[in-house]
Amino acid sequence: MIDYTTIVVLCEDRQQEVFARQFLESCGVDRHRIYPDVCPKGKRAGEQFVRTQYPKQVVSYRKISRRLTAGLVVLTDADVKEVSDRLRQLESALEQNGVSKRRLEERIGVFIPKRNIETWIYYLMGRAVNEEDVYPYLKQESDCKSYVQALARNRREPLLEIAPPSLKTACQELPHIFPEDA
Amino acid sequence: MLKRIYIDNYKCLVNFELNFGPVNLFLGPNGGGKTSVFETLQKLQLFVGQNRKVADLFTFSDRTRWQSSLIQTFELEIERGKKAYKYELAIEHDEKSRTARVKYERLWYERQPLLKFESDEVQLYQDNGTSASPYTFDSSLSALAFITPRSDNQLLTWFKEQLPYLIIAQIIPPLMGGESAQEEKFPSARMDNYASWYRHLSQDQGLAFQLTAALRKCLPGFDYFKFTEAGERHRTLKVFFTSLGQPSASTGYDFSELSDGQRMLIALYTLLLAAQAKDATQSGKHKFILCLDEPENYLALPEIRPWMVDLYDLCSEGQVQALLISHHPESIDYLLASPIGYWFERQNNLATRVKQIRAEDDGGLSVSELIARGWLHD
Repeated sequence: MIDYTTIVVLCEDRQQEVFARQFLESCGVDRHRIYPDVCPKGKRAGEQFVRTQYPKQVVSYRKISRRLTAGLVVLTDADVKEVSDRLRQLESALEQNGVSKRRLEERIGVFIPKRNIETWIYYLMGRAVNEEDVYPYLKQESDCKSYVQALARNRREPLLEIAPPSLKTACQELPHIFPEDA
Repeated sequence: MLKRIYIDNYKCLVNFELNFGPVNLFLGPNGGGKTSVFETLQKLQLFVGQNRKVADLFTFSDRTRWQSSLIQTFELEIERGKKAYKYELAIEHDEKSRTARVKYERLWYERQPLLKFESDEVQLYQDNGTSASPYTFDSSLSALAFITPRSDNQLLTWFKEQLPYLIIAQIIPPLMGGESAQEEKFPSARMDNYASWYRHLSQDQGLAFQLTAALRKCLPGFDYFKFTEAGERHRTLKVFFTSLGQPSASTGYDFSELSDGQRMLIALYTLLLAAQAKDATQSGKHKFILCLDEPENYLALPEIRPWMVDLYDLCSEGQVQALLISHHPESIDYLLASPIGYWFERQNNLATRVKQIRAEDDGGLSVSELIARGWLHD
C-alpha cells in the first residue's frame, strides 16, 4: 500500500467527493491526506469546473510528486457523452494549456461514471441500472458509504457482468492510484 | 437539530428568520449580525438552562437602536426525530426603570402546548395534554427553567436537557489552561474549561482512546494525555509527545505549554469525538449543535480542511449539526460545494438581511476570491 502524503480529489460535486473519499479510505489512505477540490454549488457546470481545474492539478501534481508521495483522483460524469469522449476532453484541456499527456507511471486516476455517480451507487446498492437514465440524488451523500466500502474491499475481484460498463472502465484506472493492485 | 430561529428587536436583528440544515456557514462583512445570532442562542440557553434573570441577559440597550418598540421577541424550533419543539419568548422592557420582564414564554411540541407563562401566571401541560392548575411566578425569570423532571413531563424535560448540547463557542486557545478543579460536562464559551471538560470525557475510556488515536494522526508526535494530582481535588492535564526515532520515550508538557494552534486542534477534535459519545447520542438521544465562531483561527492551513471534512461527514450522517461563522477561504471553498452558505449584510447600518449564497459563473474565481473582491452578489 502506498503511504500517500497527499492525494487530491478533483470532482464535480459533493456526492462524487464522498464516494471517492470513502473508497480511498477503505483502501487504506489516511483520510487526513485526502484534499478535496469540489465545484462550488451553483457556480457553473461541474464538468466545466473539473475540465478547467484538471490541467492546474496535473501541473501541481507533477511538481509535488518529485519530493512527496502524491496522487490525483479525478471524477467527472459522462452525462450523455461516452466515457471516451470525456477522457478526450480532459486530454484536450491538458493540450490546450500546454501540459503534456498523462503518463502511465503517474499516480493520476480518471474515473468517469456514466450517466453519473448515482448510476454507480444504485448499482452497488443492488438496483438494476442502465447508463441512460438519470437516478435521483441520495437523501444524504453518506448513504453510499457501506456500498462504496464493499466495492473497495472487493476491488481486486472482477465486477459482475451486469455492472455498468463505465464502472468496469473505472476499475482499470485503479492501478494508477494503487499500483500494487495491478 | 436546530430547525429555525426568529429574532425581533435584538441589536441589528429585526424580524429576522433563518431556517437551518445539518451544516450552515455564515459569511459576510464584520458587523453583519452573524455573531448576534450566536449571542441570542447563548442568552436563551442561559435564561432557560441557568435560571438567569431576564434583565441580566437582555438589557435595554440590546434593543434595536432605531426602533421604539419595547418588546423583544425570540422563537426557537428544535427537531426531535421527525417532530419539533417551538419555544417562544417575548421580553418587555421598561424605559424608565431600565428593567425587563417576561411578557410571555411558551413551549410547544408540535401543536401541543407544554408550557404557557404570561401575566405572571404559569400554565403547565402534561405529556398527555392534560392541563395542571395554574400558579403565579416571578416574571423576571424563565418559568421553564424551574420545572423539575417528572414522569408526566418528559416532553418538556427533553427540550430543557437538549439546550446544554447547544455548544456556542469562540475558542480562545490562550485561555485554555491545564488546571482542573472538577469535572465539567460541557465546554465553556471560550473553551477555557477544556481540562475540566476533558476530565469528564475521559471517564469514557472508549472516547479517550478514540481521541488519542485521532490526535496522533493530526498532531505530530502526540502520544497521550495524563492527569497529575495537584491537591485533593485539583488535577493538571499533561500532554505527552514522542520524538522521532524514540517512540518509547515520551516527554510530558503542561497543557498550557502547548502552542495556541495545538490547543485549538485538540479542542476541535475533542468536539467532534464528544459529539459522537454515548451520553450525547444514545441515552438521551440528544445531539450536539455546534455553533462555532471562526473555528479555523490559530490553525495552520493544512489542518483546516481535514477537520472540516470530518465535521461535514458527521453532519451529513446526522450525528451532529454545525453552524459556523467563517472568513477563511479553506472553509468557504470546501463547504460551499454544498448549498449551505448564508450571506449576512447590513446596508446603511440598518437591519441584517440574509441571502442564500449562490456563486455564479465568474470565469474561474473561487467563492472566497469573489468574497474578498466584494463581487459575490454584484
